[in-house]
Amino acid sequence: MITPRLGVRIGELELSNPVMPASGCFGPELGQLIDLNRLGALVTKSVFYEPRAGNPAPRLTEVGGVMLNSVGIPSAGVEAFIAQTLPRYLAWNPPTIVSIGGLTVDEYHRLAERLAGIQGIAALEVNISCPNLEAGGLEIGADPRTVEAVIRGVVDRSRVPIIAKLTPNVTSIVEIACASEAGGATAISAINTVVGMGVDLAARRTRLGNVTGGISGPAIKPIALRMVWSVARAVAIPVIAIGGIASEEDALEFMVAGATAVQFGSVNFTRPDAMLRAIDGIEAWLGDRGVSDVSEIIGSLELAPSDDELPALNEYGARTDEAHAARRGA
Amino acid sequence: MSGLQGGQAVAPGPIRLSRLPDDQAAIQPTLLGASVLSNENIRADYWSLVLDAPTIAERAQPGQFVMLTVARQGEAVPILPRPMAIFRWDAAAGTIEIVYRLVGGGTRVLATWDRGEVMTVVGPLGRGFRLKPDTSTILLLGRGIGTCSLTALAEVAIAGGMTVYAVASGRSREGVFGGGFYREAGARHVLEVVDTDGSSDPERLRGDLLDMLDASGVDQVFVCGSQRLLALGVELAARYQAEVQVSLEAHMACGLGYCHGCSTGAPGLAKEAPLVCTEGPVFVSTGRGSLS
Repeated sequence: MITPRLGVRIGELELSNPVMPASGCFGPELGQLIDLNRLGALVTKSVFYEPRAGNPAPRLTEVGGVMLNSVGIPSAGVEAFIAQTLPRYLAWNPPTIVSIGGLTVDEYHRLAERLAGIQGIAALEVNISCPNLEAGGLEIGADPRTVEAVIRGVVDRSRVPIIAKLTPNVTSIVEIACASEAGGATAISAINTVVGMGVDLAARRTRLGNVTGGISGPAIKPIALRMVWSVARAVAIPVIAIGGIASEEDALEFMVAGATAVQFGSVNFTRPDAMLRAIDGIEAWLGDRGVSDVSEIIGSLELAPSDDELPALNEYGARTDEAHAARRGA
Repeated sequence: MSGLQGGQAVAPGPIRLSRLPDDQAAIQPTLLGASVLSNENIRADYWSLVLDAPTIAERAQPGQFVMLTVARQGEAVPILPRPMAIFRWDAAAGTIEIVYRLVGGGTRVLATWDRGEVMTVVGPLGRGFRLKPDTSTILLLGRGIGTCSLTALAEVAIAGGMTVYAVASGRSREGVFGGGFYREAGARHVLEVVDTDGSSDPERLRGDLLDMLDASGVDQVFVCGSQRLLALGVELAARYQAEVQVSLEAHMACGLGYCHGCSTGAPGLAKEAPLVCTEGPVFVSTGRGSLS
């Protein structure tokens, strides 16, 4: 059995392996339980320019096999982040990707400006799943023009790779991905949580203090797979997959569908060592099949029984080729 | 509900709570695959789970908790591990005991675990109860499964020569837990009170406790599982110049402080409120006001 190469590249960012945590589902505190130096990268919780509280309790619940959260991204603000939080990430060897959030286009840009030149930041992940206060609370990430403006401004103010983290709560995630690419993003990460809610029938109350929240866990994996596949076909930049990834099989499925790297979220709560097991598992899976480099499997998905019959599929997987259209019309 | 299991964070209401001082040994949680040694229904809907968890048994302090992953290896759900108070432990044997109550989907799955199965467990976690060096008499106020956060404290206090008074409260006779444990451990006096006969009513309980305590006084009061018991504890503490510590419950995901799922946050705060997992679960009352 060969020992496969696990390193991947996200623009200029070199990762020792494709496995990293998802923002919000990780902190250096996890280093009390596992060796964080084995991860491909570390990803911070989203930092905002000003300090902000999170949402009222309860912030977490589990219903019907999914986790719902309305934590609301509490942040100590960028100055406390630079002084206190960031050094705790930089104490570890893997590159640190800093997730940034904002409630206006300008807040993202001010954050990027403040973080530019701070030693040790390997990349920024722009969390555009935040309510846009200038547009009545619609998610920043739901409007392609706003997304392009956010990303372009962050890119212009930064010297590190910029990753646009997309929300699935849109009609066309491909349109948003293309807007991010047009804005100069180095890479796309997808997906953030799927918006949802829960009702406690007996009490006739919502299960979350914030009424709605984000759905995560293995149940969203098929949603994420479809979106990662669609986005990876549509853009020329690397895609980092997020959504229900819990094992080496999950990670490899996303890579076959076009992802260059993967982020582990809710499973870090269920199994604090899930990422380390998956790194070992990816190596073993590739080794067993004689694959010498993990990059070889990226985008290796086979769509049809034979290439002759490869259908033209739109972003949602529906057939758009002429023959199919004609049949439908007949 | 166990000390922390499920449920909503106890609304701090008008009682002001603060973090305990940072004078305890550092919390050093471990990640274990812990063998189930036994998992039995002990009475009504209360179950006892004994795990082989040497590193937790060696480090545990009264009032600390563990995160139990209820999903078996290879299974994805339940996603969220359950925070559970450590009922008691045996450092020499390397075992810990959790007492839980069947209250929902998670605990129903937990009850299916068999001897010999290996469970993902993280612990010990959180800031436990603090006994002051000059304390000679303590009062424990627990309701329902909340009593299970207080049992280990009773054992430690009695072993240290302190006098322990304990109240175990519940909705019905079946819902009261811990009375027998306290008596066997050597508590001076144990009151088991229930809603069904009115004995758990705070007015009536106050009278019974004054009769019990007026001769001896009390130095520290420890509470878990009831806002009404906390209010009563604060009132009694004022009378006897005692300190009150309370263990809060909350939904949790990480137990380590990074997910911020268990914040005590109320609406309208300007900054993040304390986390139950790492800044609690035990807080100290500093009188009336909001949590700070």
